[in-house]
Amino acid sequence: MRLRFSLNGQAMDLADMDGSQSLLSLLRGLGFTGSKEGCGVGECGACTVLLDGLSVDSCLLPAAKAQGRAVRTVEGLAQGESLHPLQEAFLEAGAVQCGYCTPGMLMSATALLERHPRPGDAEITEALEGNLCRCTGYQDIIEAVRLAAAKPERKP
Amino acid sequence: MSLPSQVGLSLARRGGLERVTGACLFGVDLAQPGDLHLFALRAGSGPARIQRLDLAAARAYPGVVAVFTAADIPGINRVGIIAKVKDQPILAEGQTRYPGDAVALIAAESLTAARAAARLARLELEPLPAVSDPRQALLPGAPKVGEAGNLLWEARVRKGDPDGALARAAVVVTNTYTTSKAEHAAIEPEGGRAWWQDGLVVVRASTQNPHHDRHDLARLLGLPEEGVRVIQAETGGGFGGKLDLGLQGFLALAAWHLKRPVVMTYTREESLAATAKRHGLVMEYTSAADEQGRLLLCQAEIFGDSGVYASYGPAVCVRAAVHASGPYRVPHVEAHSRLVYTNNAWCGAMRGFGVPQVALAHEGQMDELAQRLGLDPLEMRIINALRPGDETATGQRLGRSAGLVQCLEALRPHYGQWRREAARSEGQYLRGVGLGAMFYGIGNTAMSNPASARLEMDAEGRLCLFTGAAELGQGSDTVLCQIAAETLGWPAQDVRLVRGDTARTLNAGATSASRQTFISGNAVQLAAQGLRGLLLEQAAALLGAPPQDIALDHGGARAAGKGLPLADLLRGLQERGVVVQAVGDYDPPTTPLDPASGQGVPYPTYAFAAQAALVEVDADSGLTRVPQVAAAHDVGRAMNPRAVEAQIKGGVVMGLGYALMEEYTPRCSNLHQYHIPTIADAPRIVPIIVESDDEAGPFGAKGVGEPALIPTAPAVAGGLAQALGRRLFDQPFSLERIMAALMEGRKTERQKDEAGS
Repeated sequence: MRLRFSLNGQAMDLADMDGSQSLLSLLRGLGFTGSKEGCGVGECGACTVLLDGLSVDSCLLPAAKAQGRAVRTVEGLAQGESLHPLQEAFLEAGAVQCGYCTPGMLMSATALLERHPRPGDAEITEALEGNLCRCTGYQDIIEAVRLAAAKPERKP
Repeated sequence: MSLPSQVGLSLARRGGLERVTGACLFGVDLAQPGDLHLFALRAGSGPARIQRLDLAAARAYPGVVAVFTAADIPGINRVGIIAKVKDQPILAEGQTRYPGDAVALIAAESLTAARAAARLARLELEPLPAVSDPRQALLPGAPKVGEAGNLLWEARVRKGDPDGALARAAVVVTNTYTTSKAEHAAIEPEGGRAWWQDGLVVVRASTQNPHHDRHDLARLLGLPEEGVRVIQAETGGGFGGKLDLGLQGFLALAAWHLKRPVVMTYTREESLAATAKRHGLVMEYTSAADEQGRLLLCQAEIFGDSGVYASYGPAVCVRAAVHASGPYRVPHVEAHSRLVYTNNAWCGAMRGFGVPQVALAHEGQMDELAQRLGLDPLEMRIINALRPGDETATGQRLGRSAGLVQCLEALRPHYGQWRREAARSEGQYLRGVGLGAMFYGIGNTAMSNPASARLEMDAEGRLCLFTGAAELGQGSDTVLCQIAAETLGWPAQDVRLVRGDTARTLNAGATSASRQTFISGNAVQLAAQGLRGLLLEQAAALLGAPPQDIALDHGGARAAGKGLPLADLLRGLQERGVVVQAVGDYDPPTTPLDPASGQGVPYPTYAFAAQAALVEVDADSGLTRVPQVAAAHDVGRAMNPRAVEAQIKGGVVMGLGYALMEEYTPRCSNLHQYHIPTIADAPRIVPIIVESDDEAGPFGAKGVGEPALIPTAPAVAGGLAQALGRRLFDQPFSLERIMAALMEGRKTERQKDEAGS
């Protein structure tokens, strides 16, 4: 199938695509390997991307569902050299250890902050409950989201 | 202007930026267009004799380039980390031992083709007698799983006069504790790429031990070690699960035969079904104390299932025996530990090597003894804590770095406050506060386990550290650079790093046993001292001052009012043809353990820790939460306090998962059946760093990776025992077991009421 969608703000027009493959597989095949597979069944959240601003498990979503929609991945968070406030906050709070869950965490947190610019701890927990991390114990990740929410220079 | 100390500084983690932008390439991210994809055909059942393996249709499938079996392995088809028991074929030879065994390896132009071809393979298996109960595996006539018999390993520690001590005791408690098999569940599954380059097989994969991988791969392929190069890919967590060699063997075999790049990634299902687990142990303990609460005796009979392969089993077996009596002064000890082959999923190293298991037992015993004596569990532990100068169960005299009492004292305010809160709790929520304490020997047990490191300085004064120590996310890259920088007087951020590449770095041994900060840290410090010596020698010649009078750092050298810029110093060395580099080699001082008594010096030093956990049980539903944990860790000296705290916080949550939910069975096909903690399960954690300045550690440091996890489950067990009014002896403390305990409690109360009315 011909697949047209926006990827990190860039118009994509792909001919002869297998629309039944997962969106994760499509993205990774295009070289966007920031989104990870950790389980393939929507349990771990390492594959989280934003579809029209909502966080989704891209391992479960057929690529055809991206037709005409806006997909955002971790590669699209920074603007040039300038990191997204969440990326800065993850580094500042020490929320990154092995880093494999980080792209998915960042995307879930991005969706949260775009919806709730000043989330409470309950909202943070709820937004990140589908993202597993085996290294950090989550505390520094919560701290990073709080920190990002408090950053004055947040862009829309 | 002098540089602040580069150790003790919470520098940002190396590699952080790539990890937040998505640019970091992990082992599973290395596929290039044109690579062949590998897929392993697993037996799906076993033990069984392979009656027929017809691969003709698979080979003929479009896109399939090759299908390999054990017959295609040119070298020795046995891998394993322990030299004495390399027992694991990477492809089955004539028989399978359990369902996870691979029987063939398919290489195809796409993964889809490889998987489709696998479905066309005709595999006929004739079941063989199986043994799944480790006790039965030792009976005469039991099906033979281990090539040299089913008893894999046995270890003993004997000290003092255990029988005499029992007779003198004021209180004696005897209990049996059991633990589950557990899965590492690093979020990155195993993955990598291999290719053929300049006459070498090059494997780049997630691993915890690149140099050992090279050794076993060379053996597998019948090549000299120089014929194989292993590069550690950026690795998304390990926890012991990436110490064994499986995937690397498949990659190397295919790249060697095909001379083409190949990639392979395990699915989560495959990772669960075919890699090592934490050993489930049965631990029968008898512990005794005098009226004052001083421990007299620890008798431990430890028995466990290794599954079909040995992996790190011998190390787990010995470490469990050595740590059986816990971080306490116990004059009379008798520990006996055995691991047995069965046809179950195989077990290996997982964060703690047997110590998380025995800690559940020795801490349970401490609580039970304290209760019998009417002592507070905190006081009971302080009375008995090993202190500097004390002797361990193996007769090792501790040095000054034994900070368990400080750890326990550091918990006191949290423990006290939570105890008061728990005592006030009423109604639906049952609360309790538990304690867990541990010690953990740094490095491999009672054997040489060296690390080397090399430092190089270029003509511009740029420092580069070459280390074989695998970084898994725990922070060794950052910490080793800090140690190099501090020794030389250089800023740590300016140190460049080449890591985990057998062609470029020296062997640092495994990233396991909490050993890299201590052992590689010492090697790095020695290399830095060597390099500093070279610079000082040159400075002495140019300044006309003795080396000991010279101040040297990244700016240059100074002595007696004269300064020498670094560039001049390096130019002088260059002119003399001196390569500014140095190698550091460090092997921790240990002695073998006496086979009968286990006496000896198994480790250069021990980490100590204690944690307190507040536990809350909903009396109606049994739902259990651990809202708060305080975790005090004697790490010798924190090279990077934030990285230490990060290890503690991560360890506590892994320990919490172990306590409440983690139990591997063959039915656990993915993470919806094998549960690990989510953000909603995570407690609020107060990490507390205790420093005790180890004599032999680099700048006084020890290690923290495994200790972080060990005390958590015992602390949760103690809290649960208080909340429920009865102790659970079988880990995990799952909802079903907690509900059963609540029902039992109600039944007892009813009976009491009836008896009273």
